[in-house]
Amino acid sequence: MLERRLYYHIDWLLLGAMLALSAIGVAMIYSATGAAAGGPNARLYVTQIYAIVLGLVVLAACLGVDYRTLGDNSHLIYVGVLALLIYVMLFGTSMGGARRWISLGRFYLQPSEFAKAGLALVLAKFFGENRRTIPTAADLAIAGGLTGLPFLLVVRQPDLGTAVTLLPVFIAIVYLAGMRMRIFAVLLVIAVVSAPIAWRFGMQDYQRERISTFLDPSQDARGAGYQQIQARITAGSGGVWGKGFGKGTQGQLRFLPVAYNDFIFSVLAEEKGFVGVLVVLALYLFVIQRALETARLAKDRLGTYLVLGVLSSFVFQVVYNIAMSAGLAPVKGLTLPLMSYGGSSMIATLAGFGLILNVRMRRFTN
Amino acid sequence: MALVEDRRRLVIRLTVVQYAITGIFAVLALSFWWVQVIEHQRFYEMAENNHQRTLALRAPRGVLFDRDGRPLVENRDSFRISILREHTHDLGRTIRLLAAVTGLDEHAIRRQVDRHRREPTFRPIVIVEDASLAQVAAVTARRLDFELPDVIVERVPVRRYPTDALAAHAFGYVGEVGESQMEAEGLASGAIVGQSGIERTYNQLLMGEDGARRVVVNSVGREIKTLEEVAPAEGRRIKLTIDYDLQRAAEDGFRELGYNGAAAVLDPSTGEVLALVSLPAYDPNAFAGGIDRDRWTALNVDELKPLQNRAIQGRYEPGSTFKIAVATAALEEGIVKPDFKVNCAGGANFYGRYFKCHLKGGHGTLDMRHAIEQSCNVYFYTLGNMVGIDRIHKWATALGLGQKSGIDLPNEVEGLVPSTQWKLQRRGEKWYAGETISVSIGQGQVWVTPISMAVMIATVANGGTRLTPHFVKAVDEGKGWQVFKAPEPDHAVKLKPETVQVLHDGLWLVVNGAGTGARGRIPGRDVAGKTGTAQVISIEGKQQAGKTDKDLRDHGWFLFFAPKDNPQIAGVIFAEHAEHGYLGAPIARHVIETFFAKKEGRPLPPFNKAPFLWAAAAGAAAGQ
Repeated sequence: MLERRLYYHIDWLLLGAMLALSAIGVAMIYSATGAAAGGPNARLYVTQIYAIVLGLVVLAACLGVDYRTLGDNSHLIYVGVLALLIYVMLFGTSMGGARRWISLGRFYLQPSEFAKAGLALVLAKFFGENRRTIPTAADLAIAGGLTGLPFLLVVRQPDLGTAVTLLPVFIAIVYLAGMRMRIFAVLLVIAVVSAPIAWRFGMQDYQRERISTFLDPSQDARGAGYQQIQARITAGSGGVWGKGFGKGTQGQLRFLPVAYNDFIFSVLAEEKGFVGVLVVLALYLFVIQRALETARLAKDRLGTYLVLGVLSSFVFQVVYNIAMSAGLAPVKGLTLPLMSYGGSSMIATLAGFGLILNVRMRRFTN
Repeated sequence: MALVEDRRRLVIRLTVVQYAITGIFAVLALSFWWVQVIEHQRFYEMAENNHQRTLALRAPRGVLFDRDGRPLVENRDSFRISILREHTHDLGRTIRLLAAVTGLDEHAIRRQVDRHRREPTFRPIVIVEDASLAQVAAVTARRLDFELPDVIVERVPVRRYPTDALAAHAFGYVGEVGESQMEAEGLASGAIVGQSGIERTYNQLLMGEDGARRVVVNSVGREIKTLEEVAPAEGRRIKLTIDYDLQRAAEDGFRELGYNGAAAVLDPSTGEVLALVSLPAYDPNAFAGGIDRDRWTALNVDELKPLQNRAIQGRYEPGSTFKIAVATAALEEGIVKPDFKVNCAGGANFYGRYFKCHLKGGHGTLDMRHAIEQSCNVYFYTLGNMVGIDRIHKWATALGLGQKSGIDLPNEVEGLVPSTQWKLQRRGEKWYAGETISVSIGQGQVWVTPISMAVMIATVANGGTRLTPHFVKAVDEGKGWQVFKAPEPDHAVKLKPETVQVLHDGLWLVVNGAGTGARGRIPGRDVAGKTGTAQVISIEGKQQAGKTDKDLRDHGWFLFFAPKDNPQIAGVIFAEHAEHGYLGAPIARHVIETFFAKKEGRPLPPFNKAPFLWAAAAGAAAGQ
């Protein structure tokens, strides 16, 4: 399946950077869960290692099949993902008031994580096949519909955070596909105009509260603003060199909720300091730029779109999560891909990068 | 062409994306630089404050020992339940839960919280002092479940006093520092300080220094580990002059006879207080862990006034015991010689009024020794009339009456010995010589406290050195017992040896002759003493009052010292509503017997109500 010459075209640097980030993530999970001292979450880092290994297997599987073959079957994959989302809606496992998971014995699969890759694939295929240089309104409508279906299904779970990560996929691909900038401008205006309307009618109280709290965290220092303030304290107290591995008081003493998950970057900032932050930022930037280079080098438009589609939600999540970790964005349950604890996220992310590597690897093949 | 164009646009748009992302990462890096480098100090301190908490460790108060080194007042561990609001999200919920768990009234807890609401949140608000084990267990279990993370249970030392309120008024009690005290003595809010008695007087020595413990807490306030601990320094240990056995003997005596009242027993050569009694007493243990409102109110409205220290705050007529002062004045002023004789016919006329003696038939002709022995009123009417009120005032004051004794207890009151000047100043009236007659036998405008009576009898006993009663023998400043400097004698009265001899002889006869103090007699001990009756209400007043629930029976005094020559113990027994002074004498006898038994290493005697029935009969016949 995997030809020997293709093996030489695997982007080992990109893969290495990703593994480095994952390894740092495991270390931070180990620290944030207080694994050395034991405790209810002491084994989470082991689970994360399993997820990485499993993710690499899935990544390899994604490499094995030519992305063009995948593109040809993208409609099937897309329908499969939708089916999983509907299944979740009907029979999924509820936790904390949200129905997001499919139970697989000891593990839980979160299909919404895979919806991103599925959506990227189907949109890339759709615009890649499109011979027109500028997408028509009908094209946009179809693409919007393809995005809207999984978006609504995920919103209904409810998981607004994950649903929102689907939007960058759509925007990135229509942008590359040549949508006129003025349409972007119009969309932007509509967004700005509709924001107050959404605020008034479209949002839950807790969502409104989150946003107003973000603008002034001190107004609710014990409630919603608490996490944001604590995030900033956590990062700020780390200083240049950090407090040292396993010595962060903010993460260790649970001033940050689920530090091993949403706030893993804060733990890094506290324990490894500004230096650690720069290293990890550089690694992420390298991964992203390397992937963008792949988009540029791609043999066809399908490849370019696919890379950017997958990458866009990755970038969105990385940027948002890191900003949130410094208390610069409202607290939202968005994980940091590659580093946060979470099997589905890890496997889906690696699978997505499997597609990116696939495109790069096959840039010379016919 | 279109394809090339298409390709170019794609590349441009990708390049835009590349630069945009690099720009965003640069902004992120700058943000972290701002937060982590520029603002680091501020956030670092916030993080430290987040997870560190300093808890005060209350210092145990100094232990009080009796003169033999027997611990009298110690400390015990108690548990205190407080709310620490620092990390509280929902105070209302905490209060509700705590009320349910401890079985307390929710509103009471809320009131307590409101009272301290303005204090800093890191200072715990005490909800339950001296909590029961059930309360502690209930709260601790909830804490483990994270249900009450903001409620803390502290182990604090509290005072433990002898169980039967022994010497309660001497020890006093402790309580939370009041506003005025806080400012005057620079004490911290919530500090436990002495509120009365020795606890109050020697509070600075007894208090010790609170320690502190700096701990790491997690986000819900649970303690994780201790960073630093400064152990509290226990207060100074104080060795009191009180003799446990004498104190107990005196209190046993009162209880056996069923009297309330007061007693003060002194070492007549030093002024050391060997025992100080005031009954009824309160239980100081009730205050140790914070007294509740109901109990406090009950103590305050109790008609028997258990909170009053009768020994230093009760003012009563001295009755016949005042004859000691009159005799002293007459002899010291050289107005009469000890062999001065008066004939008692059961009464005599002074200034147109007939004054009765207590013995209807009269005592016949008596000299001073026998007038003291038999407490003849006519003799002292005559003597007092000769001496005059101002010289009586001078010598009664010299002996310590009408003044504060200076005992090291707070809130001592002074009695009253009248003088012409006093009456002029107070009433704007002239003193009538007729008034002196009543005063001569300790009635009318004369008021004394039991402690001042003890000072008088000790002064007579030691031959004229007026000592200041005091409680502290030694203090342990951490380097073993250091003798505590006794207060200087107030001033030396310097009585003539002749005066002392007459008084000693007369007072010896009271107990050992045909006098009223026969119940105080101990063969071979040469006990000397004087009885007295303090009218609660005059006879005329009694008739006017008619039937009332109030106990209007007279109080009885018994002053004593022993042995007659070279006295080693002196004191006063004041028995409320005992009607006759001699009825308190068995208490004195028990104290003296105990004193000598202890001194000679014999087993302590049990209290014996009436060893000499014949003596009781003799006393009853003698009347006063």
